[in-house]
Amino acid sequence: MSQLLHHAPFSPRDDAVFLNEMNEISSWHLAGCPEYRRVWPDWTVAERLEDLPYLHVGVFKRQLWKTSVDGLMHQRILRSSSTSQATASMIALDERSSALQSRSSAAILRGLVGDSLRPLIILDHARALRQRGEASARIAAAMSLRFLAAEVHFLLEDDEAVGWERLGTILARQRRLLVYGFTWMLWQEWATAAIPEVIRRLLVEAEIHFVHSGGWKKLEAARVDRQRFETGLLATVAPTSQVTEYYGLVEQVGVIFPLCQAGFYHVPRWTGVLVRDPWTLKILAHQPGLLQFMNGLSWGAPYHSVLTEDLGRLMPYDCACGRAGQRFELLGRVPKAEVRGCANV
Amino acid sequence: MSEHLHYFATPQRGTAVMLPFELEAWLQQWAGLRLTMVKAVPPPFSREEWAYLVTFLEAANLRKPFSTAFGETVPDLPGRPNALVRPRGLIGVWLPNNVSLLGSLTLILASLSGAALWVKAGSSAADLTAAWVDFALRHLPPGSLADYLRQQVQINRFDRHDPRNGQMAAAAKVRVAFGSDEAVSAVHALPHPTDSVAVSFGNHRSEAWVEKAALTEDQMLALIRVFAIHGQAGCTSPRRVVVLDGSLDDARWVQSELVRLWPKAVRADVPMHVAAANVMEHQMAAAQGWQAVRVARNAGVVAVGPPGLPELAGIMTLPVVPAQVVDAMAALPPNIQTIGHAVRHPHDPLWLERISRTPAKRFVPLEAMHHFGTVWDGANYWRQFFEEVEWQT
Repeated sequence: MSQLLHHAPFSPRDDAVFLNEMNEISSWHLAGCPEYRRVWPDWTVAERLEDLPYLHVGVFKRQLWKTSVDGLMHQRILRSSSTSQATASMIALDERSSALQSRSSAAILRGLVGDSLRPLIILDHARALRQRGEASARIAAAMSLRFLAAEVHFLLEDDEAVGWERLGTILARQRRLLVYGFTWMLWQEWATAAIPEVIRRLLVEAEIHFVHSGGWKKLEAARVDRQRFETGLLATVAPTSQVTEYYGLVEQVGVIFPLCQAGFYHVPRWTGVLVRDPWTLKILAHQPGLLQFMNGLSWGAPYHSVLTEDLGRLMPYDCACGRAGQRFELLGRVPKAEVRGCANV
Repeated sequence: MSEHLHYFATPQRGTAVMLPFELEAWLQQWAGLRLTMVKAVPPPFSREEWAYLVTFLEAANLRKPFSTAFGETVPDLPGRPNALVRPRGLIGVWLPNNVSLLGSLTLILASLSGAALWVKAGSSAADLTAAWVDFALRHLPPGSLADYLRQQVQINRFDRHDPRNGQMAAAAKVRVAFGSDEAVSAVHALPHPTDSVAVSFGNHRSEAWVEKAALTEDQMLALIRVFAIHGQAGCTSPRRVVVLDGSLDDARWVQSELVRLWPKAVRADVPMHVAAANVMEHQMAAAQGWQAVRVARNAGVVAVGPPGLPELAGIMTLPVVPAQVVDAMAALPPNIQTIGHAVRHPHDPLWLERISRTPAKRFVPLEAMHHFGTVWDGANYWRQFFEEVEWQT
């Protein structure tokens, strides 16, 4: 159990406690996961966060990592939402971690969207919930809002069409909604969709809090920036509506980094972020580099400390938005280029 | 283009070759480009690719196809050629997406037949072949070689579903197909003239075979360089280093030397995504039981382990394993192409016996592993660009 979870997510950090918790969880995984031990054979204890062991985010696409310790119950496999042809990450969920992760995401989300219960509309289809033994990260992200939901509705039909009539029925009795969707799906299926006129008339009187995550890769390709995205969404609903974005990754399930009005992603106090030079892996104080995320919530597999291929920069000083703790600027993915050869690969 | 008879002879045989150009003039014009090439590396070529092209264009190297196929140049064959040889006709070349210099090199070699050329470049990657022709046309002097490139060479980018694949196959007298085995088979399955010739460059892999006692620092540097150019994406790059008749400790020594010398062999940083991926590959190798080490500045991963560990897939991951020679021979994959060697006695006929019992197509020094020539994948494909008329008087 992380002591740090007892406090507000964006209150001042206690790095000593965080380091202790990370040392404890790292030792746990080294003892219970032989593959992890082979990656870090000589590690004992860290006196600085930067000396903690970590795994590259890509290793979770190559094999299923599990930490097996008496009393730990593994549950489903969480898979990243493969919107391209890329291989999906696989994360072994467990009871203990799931409880902590739910508590973590609830604490962060409560600060973002408030406490009041309202219908949760998920811009996805329900069939993803019906898969045995597995869950998609997209659905997991959506369902992390369930504790704020008076009721849950999936808006996509199995044929991918948006169930506008169903939304109309909900709007007929409730004008305050929470809507979650992946960023590109909200743009494609809501902001730029041909919404039936009858639904449009209902929507302009509805106060909707849109919550989205999943990244901007697809929309960048379509030259849609954040301002255009938000303007497009808010044009369909009542003026008191809001849009909230957060950054998260399946390999850090339960942890949400909300984007503030000042344009920075904030780091909850029970998690930590480092930035490393891609060539030397040295820590970069405020220069751009690879983002590494850590949390003390993940006990079923060693995804508690993950080096990503996302580029970012830690920002100095406190944020104008008033949140305490670490904050970072997200600079996109590491640029890729094909290695030339003989087409052998 | 006007036609010119050229004569070649071996002690046993004389061959008259009808070319639609004057050979020496073209050799000098190709080689003359080198003076311009050494000044700068134009995009999209890498420094290594450009340096290789400069070396490839040496006139002596460009003469080799003729000497290998027909013999040495002679002024004439008074009344006694054994054969008359002429270009077979249109050569179609299919290139895959991530191909490096093979398109440009094939184009240069094919030009020496004088046959028209139709190249299908990859649809979604940098097209080095067209870039090479553009460069050549900007810098060649006016004359028949520039005219040939302008008028007889056609390069198009399209995918495998494009109907032009069928048009190429229907028109070509020679089909040269690079790519996966599936892609090559698909090209040759297209309707084609019955008297046409198929040249297949499909999936292959290569290995480096070394003896600890034969490994000098220069050999180590050569090994690093041949690997670092394409990593595991090259069919002639070593997929692994086999330390012949060595122990695991010998393999560890090779690993430590490779790691030590890597920055000396390759000074430029790898791209950021390769550096980042090498962290992953290092961790995956370790998780699977390999003793893996990241090279300075994450330029690569060198892993040591006994034979039998899971294969490593990282583009810039070089596994080193010890093995007895007989075991190394037995473990060769069926599609082995090149064995790059650093052994004490490569001239020993024992090596001829050994390699003859393997499916390997090349047994060459480490530094020559990538050297593309007219004999490739087990055949003199360049000779197939010509047809032969038996000649008796």
